[in-house]
Formats: sequence, structure tokens, C-alpha cells
Amino acid sequence: MAEKHFIVIGNGPAGKEAAFTLRERDPESRITVISKGRASSYTPHLLPDLVAGKIQEEDLYGCSLNSYAENDIKLRCCQEVVDLNLLKNEVVLEHKEVLSFDGLIIAVGGTPRIPENLLAYKDLMYTLKTLEDAKIWVKKLQQSESVLIIGGDLTSLVLTKALIHLNKKVSFILNEDAFWPLRYDDDLFKEAAQRLTDKGIKVLYDRNIKKIEQLQDGTNKVQVDDQVLQVGMVGAFFGLVPDIGFLAHSGLRIDRGILVDKHLNVGVENIYAAGDCAQIYHPDIKDYWISIGYENARMLGRTAALNLNCGCREEEVKPESIFEVQGININTTWWTEF
Amino acid sequence: MKTSGKVLAAQVAKIKDSDVFSIRSENLPTWCPGCGYFGIHQGINNAIQRMNIPHHKVVTVSGIGCAGRYSFFANTYGLHTVHGRTLPVSTGVKLANPELTVFAVGGDGDGLAIGGAHLPHIARRDINVNYILFDNSIYGLTKGQPSPSSPPGFTTKVSPAGSTEQPLNATLLALSYGATFVARLFAGDPEGITAALIEGIKHPGFAFFHVYTSCVTFDKQFKTWDHLKKWVHPLPENYDSSNHAQSIAHVLEDDYSMGILYRKQDS
Amino acid sequence: MSNVDLTVEICGMSGDGTIAAGGFLNAAVAKAGFSVMAFDSYPAEIRGFGRCVTRCRIGDEEMLALSDKTHVLISLDDEQSQSRLSGLAESATVIFDNKPPSMVPEGASLAAHVEAGTNLVGIPFRDLAAQAAGSTRGRNIVALGGFAALFEMPPEYFHEVITKKFQAKGASILEGNLRCFDAGYNYSKEKYADRIADTLSSENGNGNPDRILQSGNIAIGEGAIDAGVRLYFGYPITPATPIMEYLAKALPEKGGKLLQMEDEISSIGAVLGSFYAGTRAMTATSGPGFALMTELITHGVMAEIPAVIINTQRGGPATGLPTKTEQSDLQAAVWGGPGDSARIVLAAANVPECYTYTIKCFQLAEKYQTPVIVLTDFFLNNRVETMAPISISEEEKADWNIYPDKEDQNNFHRYRITESGISPRPKPGMEGYSYTATGLEHSEKGGPDYTPENHMAMNSKRHRKIEGALNDMPVPEEYFVEDNLDLGVISWGSTFGAALEAVQKARSNGIKVGALKIASIYPFHADLIRSFMEKCGNILIPELNYEGQLAGLIGHLYDKDVIKLNQTTGVPIYPVEIYQKINEIMSR
Repeated sequence: MAEKHFIVIGNGPAGKEAAFTLRERDPESRITVISKGRASSYTPHLLPDLVAGKIQEEDLYGCSLNSYAENDIKLRCCQEVVDLNLLKNEVVLEHKEVLSFDGLIIAVGGTPRIPENLLAYKDLMYTLKTLEDAKIWVKKLQQSESVLIIGGDLTSLVLTKALIHLNKKVSFILNEDAFWPLRYDDDLFKEAAQRLTDKGIKVLYDRNIKKIEQLQDGTNKVQVDDQVLQVGMVGAFFGLVPDIGFLAHSGLRIDRGILVDKHLNVGVENIYAAGDCAQIYHPDIKDYWISIGYENARMLGRTAALNLNCGCREEEVKPESIFEVQGININTTWWTEF
Repeated sequence: MKTSGKVLAAQVAKIKDSDVFSIRSENLPTWCPGCGYFGIHQGINNAIQRMNIPHHKVVTVSGIGCAGRYSFFANTYGLHTVHGRTLPVSTGVKLANPELTVFAVGGDGDGLAIGGAHLPHIARRDINVNYILFDNSIYGLTKGQPSPSSPPGFTTKVSPAGSTEQPLNATLLALSYGATFVARLFAGDPEGITAALIEGIKHPGFAFFHVYTSCVTFDKQFKTWDHLKKWVHPLPENYDSSNHAQSIAHVLEDDYSMGILYRKQDS
Repeated sequence: MSNVDLTVEICGMSGDGTIAAGGFLNAAVAKAGFSVMAFDSYPAEIRGFGRCVTRCRIGDEEMLALSDKTHVLISLDDEQSQSRLSGLAESATVIFDNKPPSMVPEGASLAAHVEAGTNLVGIPFRDLAAQAAGSTRGRNIVALGGFAALFEMPPEYFHEVITKKFQAKGASILEGNLRCFDAGYNYSKEKYADRIADTLSSENGNGNPDRILQSGNIAIGEGAIDAGVRLYFGYPITPATPIMEYLAKALPEKGGKLLQMEDEISSIGAVLGSFYAGTRAMTATSGPGFALMTELITHGVMAEIPAVIINTQRGGPATGLPTKTEQSDLQAAVWGGPGDSARIVLAAANVPECYTYTIKCFQLAEKYQTPVIVLTDFFLNNRVETMAPISISEEEKADWNIYPDKEDQNNFHRYRITESGISPRPKPGMEGYSYTATGLEHSEKGGPDYTPENHMAMNSKRHRKIEGALNDMPVPEEYFVEDNLDLGVISWGSTFGAALEAVQKARSNGIKVGALKIASIYPFHADLIRSFMEKCGNILIPELNYEGQLAGLIGHLYDKDVIKLNQTTGVPIYPVEIYQKINEIMSR
């Protein structure tokens, strides 16, 4: 019998963990990780530290590229899945190469979300999702003394800390749906605003941005309601949209993410989803939630791999920890420091 | 000794002063007495003299062998090359200075064996060189071995049971290669050589002179004077030297007709 | 140290336009003011079949050698390119057609084989070409557009070279190709905006666009024309034929003539005949042809007739490796042939020297009345590099023949024994100086003379002449020479560039190492070489032959054994290979 071929789509914290867990449990199978990124799996939550100059690029990497080879995991970088064929158990890559699989874990990340009303100013707003983004921040910040952050998701708060470290003047437009698809509750929202203000950051609440324009000197003029702000850089932080467009014609059930059951199964045998792209059913609240955060993503990746490898073993799934991702729980990792 | 040296010098001076031999150099021919090459030498010298070609505008390119020594014996510019390469070297000389009258001179071993690959190409390039092949059907300078024009049965020290190979016919080869001027001549008839050479030198392309001659020292069987004198004869009276196909047909039939066998009309 | 050092490789099947794309790349990058060294390899035995690879090293300083590692691989054929992946540097960029005509199974795409960490850039070459120009033919141009955008290379340089190439073919073909380039450029710029590096931006070019892009072959051809060569005699042989092809066009424009001869023997024979008659001529060949020439070369030595022979070395012995590079004809060039037949041998180390030495050797050949051999090699002849245009003085192009005086007229001694060994040589047509040049040992007047005294005297005359030629020959070039060097690297020909780069790198790492380039192979500057050697704790001689032929020639000048680095892989030696040897020697 031919060896089993497992494919993991995505090489973020969830995908990497899934692949190494698969290998840990099954030394014989063939494992392929398909990653849009060029580098090894890195820890995106440290990117603000890179921007702050506290760490070097190499400190981001959880493991070297060599460790994939050492574990006989085939890592395909700079490659993208464009289609999934559930009937043939095949994925199609952008360059028209067709790979068949015996098991699949979808662990794609997301793309920074820009709300519709701001799409017109997309090119003037900077996001921070990838290493490349971080490098652009580093370069751009050399010429910018002030930064306006719009939105207010987890990343933006950590980045703000980095900007303060760099002695940049930060202003903030806190937006209550920044944590999309989650929402701040009122208490948290207020506390966040207070803490930001305490740091000497000018915080504006729920204002509408009417216009952003770049001036000749490279700075930006931002019209907020009746107020005009002039800042060096504008950052947009409104959460992530999972990169699941390639599944549009696959037949998988998709909402904001891929709908999975409590075992992270997508409803098709041997196909699981984990990380930013998975929208997980919670039996208690009888609804779907999306997990956030590096540690959670890793854990989800591991859970998906265990389930793919061993069948649906419920004891391997720890729903309570999955649901620790809610805002409150995240606070413990950054809020107190902040 | 001294006296005879003086006598010799006086004789040389006399020869040099005479019209016919004034082209001779101070190096006297080293050929054996009775060698056919003397006749060819005389034929060439006469042609140069009669055409009033300044001696310093003549280059004689020669190969290796008894015939190769020729270039030492003429008071022209000479280029005594390595074995078999007279034709490419004379090609270079002629192209370098088209005003020069260029003779290539060599024996049958030099031209048909080691240098056999060059005749086709100078012929098809039609370089204005006058190639005189001294054909005595033997290697003389190395003391008598069969050459490419020796007949079957030819016995020498290296063919004690007689040569078993067929001879090449240089005249036929030249015609086949497309030489635009081909003459067959006899060393025993210097006047015939001179007459053909005058025509060949005037010819604007490659001219090939196949001269039958005798090696009196090493050949007692084949091209002896007695034989040659008996065999050679003029071309038929109605012979048309402008007809290439007829020339080839004639040469296939007749090995010993002497004269200008072919001259391309429009050249 | 240089800031830019980028090696780009284009790989495809014959018919993909690989070599053409390489030509555009080289020309455009040179126009942008970068230094370039590029080398194509393709199976010359059969055109239209097999893999084509062109490699271009781009830098902001003078390029001395090729690099062992490729930073950018542009794949025009995935199957062919797979074997090139092993030569990629870390974090290299691979540009490939990500929209093949049909779906392919796992493993059939180049993407399946690239190492993780590679910057894999997919650009739909065929699709974009078809959209831009109506056919997939321009896919190589699309690829170049994609490449240019990724490295911020200003598109106008490519526009210029594409226009130069295609403008004669009509507006629609030209515009189609320009659209192909722009399609690749725009696609790459947009899709890979976050991967763009400024390596080839206009700020990084060193602003010296006056330099020309030249191959060794053309440099030799141009050198021949500028030296006043009017006759070329040659026989087709890889890798010397391109010189003949160039001159076949260039010579008639100067009223000259080229003959394709029946073999190399005829070629050298005609060259000797031409020089004898007073006209500069030349031939170029490679090992097997050179071997055929040796008898006549010694004839030139004996009869004291000039000749110029370019030997573009390839892998040997015998037919050997016709399309591979080697430096194994040194011994044949110096010693090949019967007798004590000393002749002059020069070796060019780079493209400018291909030009200058071609001119130089006519001066040497005429002045010293002897055949002169210039050694080059497959790599040097076929690579292109940027070089500053060279202007040649009238003196260098002058007639260097020494003609007899009036007083010699009518009593001319062509081979008169002189102190320098040089005796005047007339041209046929000069009245009163008739002589016979001969390959037999001869007297002063030129007649055969085998007496013991004469042969001794004439051998001495001929060798005095060759030794004297050293005064007019290029002296060894010293680099980083100081007292008490730990190591001296001596090399020649196209290997020298790699040696010098290795020495530079070793010095930057604190190793006391110097270099010596030898261009005069025979005769050679024994005193100067010895004085360099005396400053060195060890001597390393890298060369592309098995036997250590330069080491064999000059090694005895050193009081210890020289260390040899011999490589016969058929490909140029890379600086890193010599650098590693330097380190190995230093750690002994």
C-alpha cells in the first residue's frame, strides 16, 4: 500500500504545529506543507517587537527551515492553493500542479481587513500581518514621527506599545468593531481607551474618517468628522479576513471562516481546519466562534492533526481551552503588561 | 682543386650570363646526372625568361623530395616548405600579393600522397598558382620506394614482391577536381614544357602541369628514359582542349599523350 | 567591497529563446552601468536539441570571474531547470511560468523541487506573451520583464536593447516584444510588490554606461581587423569558429579575404605563405587543429617566417570535450613539434587582453620573425564582459617588419647571424634580395647547411631572438605584493580572474596572500617570477589541466615544491574553489 500523503495548507502557528504533530504521530506518512510565505514558520505576535527593534528577524522563527527537512516534511514556500476537489481528494496549486491527499488540514491565515468605507484609502494605510509588513513599518518609521492607528485589534495594541518604545507620537481612533468578528464589550472598550490615554496617547472614539490624503512632504492629512489630523503614518487594524476564497467552489461550508465541528472537522472525512480560518462550533452556546491568538492557533493545529491521525477521538479535543480565546482570556497575555 | 674550382666558377658565370640560364641561383642542382628534373628546370626557366617576368616577382614554393630542392636552384624568391604543403602555402603567397607569379613545385609523393588532400581544394578555389608536379613514380630522396603513381608489380626495397596497389592518375584527378588548366608534359621535351607554361602562367586561375620524368638512379623498371621516349606522343591533331568531358574521356583512354589537355574557355 | 553581486541564470530548451534572453539581459544591465560577466553553455554538437543555460553575473565592480552560486534562476523550461536548482545560493529567487498549458501532476512543476526558503516567483510567461503579442514566443521577454521589476531595474534599458534587436523586423514585431516585456514587468511589480529588492535600481548602477559588452571571440576578431589583418585561413572547429564567422563578415569590408581551408595544416600553411609574401594573416583553432599545425609552426621557427595562431583551448586530449573549457594546451603551444623550436606564446586572461594581445602578437611575429601563439580558452572566448573601449596607437599597428638595407642588395644574407638574432627580411617583389626560406638547416644565405658549427650557430641565433622578444612582451602583473607573504598565487589565462578574486577574499580575512598573473608563457620572465616567489612562504598554481602545465614550466624557479590546484571539470574554476585551497594551505 502506498504511503499516506497528508497536506497542510498554511505554515503559520496552526499549520506548522499540525504538520509536526502529524509527523510525531506517524513517522511513515508523506507530509506536505503549502505556504504562501517565503520564510520558515515565524511567530507573528512578535512582529511588533521587530518593529520596535527589540528583536532581530531570526528571533521570530520558531524553527529553522532545516527542521522541516529533518522531520521529512516537504515545505512548499511561495505556493498557493487555488482549488480543492473533494471528489478526488486533490488540491490544485496556483501553478496548475495537482496534489492528491489522504488527509488535509486547512490552516490558512487571514488578510488584514479594511472596512468598506476605508477601502478608497487602502494604499495610504499600513497593516501588520506578515514579516514583509513589519519590514515596511521599520523602513517607513524612519521617516515618520507620528502614527495614527485606526481600529484597535489585538495587534494594534501591541504595536502601539512598540511605537511608544520608539518615541513616536501615537494617536488612536478606537473603533468598537475593530476586533472583528469579535466585538469589544463595553467594559473592555472603556478600559482599553483608559489605558491608552494613560500612556499619553490621544484617543478618539468611534469617529468617522472622511478622507485621507497624502501631502507632498509624505505626511498624511486625515479628516475625522470635523477634525483634521496630520500624521506621518496611518495604520489600519480591523482584524483579519480568513484567506479561504479558494474554497468558494469546493462545497465546504463557509461562513466568515470554515465551519468545523468541535473536533475541527469540516464535515468531510479526513479534512480539518485550524487557526484563523476555522470557525468552530461550540456545543454549549450552539454557535460558531473564531479563535484568536498565537497559542490558541498552535493548539488548534495540534488538535486537528491528532484528530486526523487518530480518528475522531474526543478526549484529544479540549473545547474549554479552545474557547479560552475570547477577549478576556487574551488579556492575560498582553493586557497586564500593557 | 683550386684550379678546378676556378674552372667551375667560370663555367657557372658563363651559364649565368647566358640568356636561358640567367635565372639559375648560385646553388647548383644536386640532382643525379641524367635526372629528368634538369629538363623541367630548363623548361620553367625558359618560360620565365621568354615572358620577361622579373625574377624578384617570382616565388617558387616547393615541397620535400628531390623536386622540393628546386626552389634553391632558381634565382627567384623561394619558399622550401615542409612535406606535402606547397599548395596551401602558395595559396597564402598568391593571395598576399597577387602581383607575384607563383609556382608550386613538388614530386609525386609530395603532391599525391602526403599532400594529396590539397589538390582538390586549390583546384576548386581556382587560385592563380602554377603547380608543376614532377612525376617520376618513385620516392628518390629516400632511396627508392613506390609512390602513389607507381604501377602494380613495381619492386623496391619496401615492395620486394612488387607493389600490389593501383596507381593514381594525377592528370585525371586534376581534371575531375575542376582544375581550369591542365597540361601533361615530358621532362625530355623542355620546349614543350616552356610552351605549356607560357600558356598556363597567362591563365588567370589554377594551372596544373603534370610532368612525366625519370629517376635514373632508382627506377630501372618503369619510367625509364627508354620507356618514356617510346610511350609519349602528341595529342591527336583534332583534339579540343576546351571540352572538359572529352578531356576526361581522352585521359581515361590515353596515359601518354602530351600537351594542354584542358583549358576552361571563359577563364 | 562590492554591494551588488547578483548571478542570474536563464535555463530552457533550445527554442525557448534562452540565449537570446541572456543577450538582452547582459546588454540591458551593462547599459544600466553595471559590470557584467556572462557565459552561455549549450550542447553545441546539436543545435535545436537539449538544454541551454546562460549565466550572467552582475556587479558594481569589475567582474573577475563567474560565481559558483546562482541568485536568480529564470526557468523557461521546468524540466531542464530542475538540475540547475542545486547551484542556487541560499534564499535565491526562482522565476517560473506558473501557468503551464495544462494541469500537471505532482512533481512535474519546478515548484515541487525548489528548496523551502527560495523566493519562488510565478509569472504566467506564456499567457502574458499570448495576450501581449498574440503568441507565446515572447515568453522569454515576459520573463525578463518580471525579473526587471523584482530587482527595480529601470525598464528603459530593456526597452532600448529590445528595440535595437527588433526594430529591423517591423513595428508590429517590435511593439509586440515591448508589450511582452511590459506585461511581465507590470505583473511582477503588482503581484510581488512586497518582494521587490532594489539591487539593480538606478542608484546602484555605477554610472559607467560607456563601457562595451564584448566576448573574447569578437575581441579577437576586432583585434585582428585593427591590427590590419587582411587574410584569414581557418578550418571549422569548436570553439574557435565564431572568430572565423566574425571575420567572414568584417574582412571583406576592409578589402580582405577569408578562406575556409581543407584542414588546419592548410590554414597555417597559407598563413605562413601570406606572411612570407608580406601580408598579415591569421588563423584560429583549438587543440586538435593546433596539433595538426605543429609541424608547420616549427617550419615558421626554422625558416623565420611570422605567423599568428589563436589557440582557443578546449578539453583534451584528442577530440576530448569540444564544448568544455580547459587550459591543457600550454605544453603543446610551447613545446609542440620537432626540434628545438622555441616560439612566442602569450595567454590572454580576460576579454580586453583578447583584443590587445591579438594586436600585440602581430608586432612580435613580425619583429621577431616567428610564429606567435595566443592561448585563450572556451570560457574566455565565449563569455561576454563589460570593458572600457581600448584605443590603439598607430605605432602598435605599424609594420614591424625589418627590411634589408641597400648595401645588402645583390649580396643578401637572409639569415645573417646577428647579436639579437634578428636578420632583415625582405618581401618578394623587392629586387636584389631573392632568397629561399627553408625548413632545412641553412647557412646565412639560406642554402642547406648541416655542418656542426652552422647548426650550433643557427640554433643559438634563433633562440637569442626569442629570448630578446621578452623585452617587448607583457611582464608578470603583481597584486598585493609585499615582503613575507604567507602565500603567493600564480595563475594564467581565464583562471587568473578567479584566482585574484579568491586572493582578495582571503586578504579581507586577514591572510597575507599575493597574486601574480603570467601572460608571457614563452619566453617567460624568469627573474621577475623568481623574485615574486622569493617573497612567498608557499606558491599555489591553480590551472584547468590535470598535469599542472604552468607549474611544470615555471615551478623549478621556486626553491620548494609549488602547490598545484588542478581541475579538469570542463567548467571554469570558481573563486571559492581557489579560496578554499588557500585556506587549506594556510591551516597546514
